[in-house]
Formats: sequence, structure tokens, C-alpha cells
Amino acid sequence: MRQKLQSALEASALEIEDVSYQHAGHAAVKDNANETHFNIKVVSPKFEGQNLVKRHRMVYGLLSDELNSGLHAISIVAKTPKESES
Amino acid sequence: MASTAASLRLAFPLRSAPAATASSFSSTTLSFPLRRCAPRPLAVAAFKKLSEASPVPIPPEPTQPLLHEDALAPKPGVYGVYDAAGDLQFVGISRNVRASLEGHRRKVPADLCASVKVAIADEETPDRAVLTNAWKSWMEEHIESTGKAPPGNVAGNYTWVGAPQRPPDLRLTPGRHVQLTVPLEQLIDRLVKENKVVAFIKGSRSAPQCGFSQRVVGILEAHGVDFVTVDVLDEEHNHGLRETLKTYSNWPTFPQIFVGGELLGGCDIVSSMAEKGELSALFQK
Repeated sequence: MRQKLQSALEASALEIEDVSYQHAGHAAVKDNANETHFNIKVVSPKFEGQNLVKRHRMVYGLLSDELNSGLHAISIVAKTPKESES
Repeated sequence: MASTAASLRLAFPLRSAPAATASSFSSTTLSFPLRRCAPRPLAVAAFKKLSEASPVPIPPEPTQPLLHEDALAPKPGVYGVYDAAGDLQFVGISRNVRASLEGHRRKVPADLCASVKVAIADEETPDRAVLTNAWKSWMEEHIESTGKAPPGNVAGNYTWVGAPQRPPDLRLTPGRHVQLTVPLEQLIDRLVKENKVVAFIKGSRSAPQCGFSQRVVGILEAHGVDFVTVDVLDEEHNHGLRETLKTYSNWPTFPQIFVGGELLGGCDIVSSMAEKGELSALFQK
């Protein structure tokens, strides 16, 4: 996951946090999936000029395989290098 | 006191409460729509009593900002609003006391909202029973000392709480047995274009089944947004909606919020816009 995001977005900062444990046992979590919920913070020059929806779509697009195989929810903070400085 | 109280019927202050399921409180005086849960005597002790809380003034103009967040926190708790003469008008509980007060100020005449007493819960996310118990004990305390309930809490008084029913969750189809004559995409498309703000959520508006959906509903309501909800988990009336909507909006998760026919985003985007104040700007248009 990290690699995909890193290489495709040329991310200058990338934090991935597995928060699945907070959601263990909630209805949508399949029995066999244990990596279901993540928080992602990513800073990438490719977000420049894109609105939030487009940025999130880029991240979701990269992770589509994971989303189809048990990943259930991602919390995304997507910034451009400029925004992350301020 | 008992006879006075028996003649009153009180409305429960939470708007989300289903109006129909009443259970008893003392001598059938309060309509109290909670599923019966075991009382938690310890929890009440954590809240200040009504008489112990100190009043915080509310500026008369709704445009004037409320006091600093230290005095009125955006947190769960119980609160009582006093009119200009110092009479208790309404006792409420809320997941976000500050936002509820903002709501009251917009809706209720200013001379009825002169000051407020607040007791914030110790926990960040207290159990619902904890809050309702605190509400009950404030109510009892007030009835004991004055012999009557605050006017805003009497059933049928819609000054403080809205009329009982919230807009129902929209349904895309009449039911699973009905053969659709138009594709689901088209129904979605029409729905998001005919309604200014649509939230596709997991669960119903009054009882979201997912934390992110709940947060989104809370944020939209706190902003006083007029919006409709669609329950993507309703297999009977919205069968196939989850998969179709994911393709329609090119967005893999729920909740999804549409404004003016365009996807605004999910929970993250709505939360961050709310924090930056962009949401209020958007909905003022």
C-alpha cells in the first residue's frame, strides 16, 4: 500500500496508520479481514490544483485492489507541499 | 406536587428520539422514548446538579458569537435555558451542547434565551442512558422546586424542539418486488439533482449505523442544513444502491454527500470543511 502511494503520487510525506482495531467487530468488517480501517496522511505535488474530491479519488483509485479485498474505510488527509507548510 | 406533575406530559428533548415509543418515568408524567435500559446510578453523580451550575449569558442577537468555548463547550451534556426574567424555559441534552444552543438561538425568540446552565459530561462519548439520566435528574430537581416542568419541555410545545418527525429517509424504489422501468443510475441522478443536499449514509438519519455517517449527519444538522438522507443499507427499498452509487460517483466508500448534483465528498472532506468554516459559506448560498 505504502509503495503504491509513494511511487504514484511522488509523495513528499506519507503516514499510514492502521486503526482497524478501533472498528473490530463492527457490522461491515468481514470475519477474515483484519486490515480494514486506515488513516492516511499524504503530501504530494500532484495534488496541486486539484480539489479535495479529486485528491481523494486519486488515493482511492490507487488502492482499488485493496478496497475490493477487505479494506473498508480510509480516512485521508491530502495536501500539497505548499499547504502542508502553512 | 404529584398532582401537578401528573397533569403534564413532557416531550423528550432529543429530536432524534422516535416519538411513538413512550416508557414510563415516575408516575407516567413524561413521555420518554428510550428503549428500557438498565439505569446507571453512578453516572448521574458525574453531572453537576441544576442548582449547582452557574448561568452563562447568551447574547441577544443570533449573529453575535456565543461565549468562548471554555464556558460553552462543543461537547455532550445537559443544559437548561433561562428567559430574560430568569425562569427556566427548556432542559435539553445534546451530543454537542454548543451546537444545540446555536440551533435554539436561530429558532427561538431571543427573550426566551437569555442565559444557559450547562453540565458537560465527564466522558467524551457518554452512553445515551447516562445523558438521559442526567436530563431526568435536572427535570426532577426543577419540578420538585417549582411544581411544574419548563414550558419548552411540555409535549406539543415546538418552540424548542422541532415537530416530532424529521424528514424520512428517501427510498429509491417502492420495494424489491417491483420491476424498475428506469435504471438505478437514472434514479440516483434525478435524486441528487432534485434535492440540493443529499447524504447517502449507512443506516437511517435518526439512527446511523456507521460512525462516519453519524458524524456527517451531526455536522450537517449542526449547520442547520436542509438535507435529505438515503440509507444505502436498506436492501428492501434501495437494493443494489451501494454498488451502483460507487460507480456513479466514482467514490468507493460511504457516506457520500452530494450538493447541487455534485459529489462534495465523504466524511473526511465534510469534517475538514466544517472545521475551516467552508461549509457554512457553501450552504449560505
